[in-house]
Amino acid sequence: MNRLGRWWFASAPVERLAAVRIFVGVFALAWVAGRLGELAAVARLGAPHFRPVGVVRVLDAPLSPALASGIAIATALLLAAFTCGWRYRVTAPLAAAGLLWTLTYRNAWGMVFHTENLLVLHVIALACAPAADAWSLDHPRARATPAAAGYGWVLKLLLAITAITYVLAGIAKLRIAGFDWLAGEQLRNQIAIDNLRKAVLGDMIAPLGTLFLDHPAGFTAFSIATIVLELAAPIVLLGGRIGRIWALSAWGFHAGVVLLMNIWFPYPLLGLAYLPLLPAERPLAWVARRWSAWRAGHPR
Amino acid sequence: MSVVLVAATASPVVREPRDDGFPLSTYPMFASKRPTQMTLDYALGVTATGERRYLTPRLVGSSEVLQAMQVIHRARATRSLPALCEAIAARVAGDDDYADVVAIRIVTGTHDAVEFLVRDVIGREVERARCEVPR
Repeated sequence: MNRLGRWWFASAPVERLAAVRIFVGVFALAWVAGRLGELAAVARLGAPHFRPVGVVRVLDAPLSPALASGIAIATALLLAAFTCGWRYRVTAPLAAAGLLWTLTYRNAWGMVFHTENLLVLHVIALACAPAADAWSLDHPRARATPAAAGYGWVLKLLLAITAITYVLAGIAKLRIAGFDWLAGEQLRNQIAIDNLRKAVLGDMIAPLGTLFLDHPAGFTAFSIATIVLELAAPIVLLGGRIGRIWALSAWGFHAGVVLLMNIWFPYPLLGLAYLPLLPAERPLAWVARRWSAWRAGHPR
Repeated sequence: MSVVLVAATASPVVREPRDDGFPLSTYPMFASKRPTQMTLDYALGVTATGERRYLTPRLVGSSEVLQAMQVIHRARATRSLPALCEAIAARVAGDDDYADVVAIRIVTGTHDAVEFLVRDVIGREVERARCEVPR
């Protein structure tokens, strides 16, 4: 195996991947379950508002609201099975397909959002991987015979997907606006316009949304930092200290977007986009130890 | 499988950058050149004393601002603003937070975002539809 292969397939604990599955699954389940009402409301907007994107392009007209809601509810149930690792080889791909359909359908009403893309891509990657080989209903303890390719490659794949989404965002800015984007004025204008939309459409404007608007030159630093951060995203694949520094910077970028635009990207803000960098198994292992100790002290 | 997923995620790079999709996106948000002046359609509540109240996007039909904006924009394009106005008025009538709102106006407003946000300067508004809130 060449060096690239050895690096990509470097080993990682099975529990780490299982922990990532559980954390991402809980988030996906909460995201879909918490939006069932919103999904139902959007599904009732009617055919004139229907603008299919992605896989939903197979439809010429919207589904009945009842069917759209039924698929969303089924997706939530499948995501529960995905999270618990129950009959994973069957339920995980179905959960990923359900999530892809449900969230694409939500984006098929005239406005494509960018807050859910990474979640969908990560769930698809996890669904195709042996992510339920431990801490699951299928395998409560780690499997006696680990997966042939190990588990580290899945974590690298998740990080690669994260990195690519940032790089694409940086490339889009340079392709659409060119290097003018770095001057700062365009970012200032975007922030102003976004907050104006929120104001007249009855949403909260960002806490710092108006603070710097009179000083467009100050946005130059923000713009340069944004582009550097986005284009440098692949360094996250190096892992270790440098990867974590990048992840922390990306998290700070999203926190800045909240403060300046009141736009929330919950998946990275909760750290889930960068979770494969971290020893995600430790908090769950701690809970498992506490649970075992409690059970030992309270025999039936 | 790694190669397939990595290639799929990266594939939007060969598309025209404004050709957005889901979940394979070019991520064109915040990339376009924009002036600070903007024209947009939105709904306003009017109180008995004539004061304006901005309506939460949920009352328009979606809790997402941009989607609510599209709902109004498309209703205007399809000449169905009166029906949308009535639907918003019905929702407002059932919302205690807007008990003081007696009428709904759907307008096209042109504002300078910096003037509006920093100096409270409201630009030009053209009324497209108006209806009473059923009480």
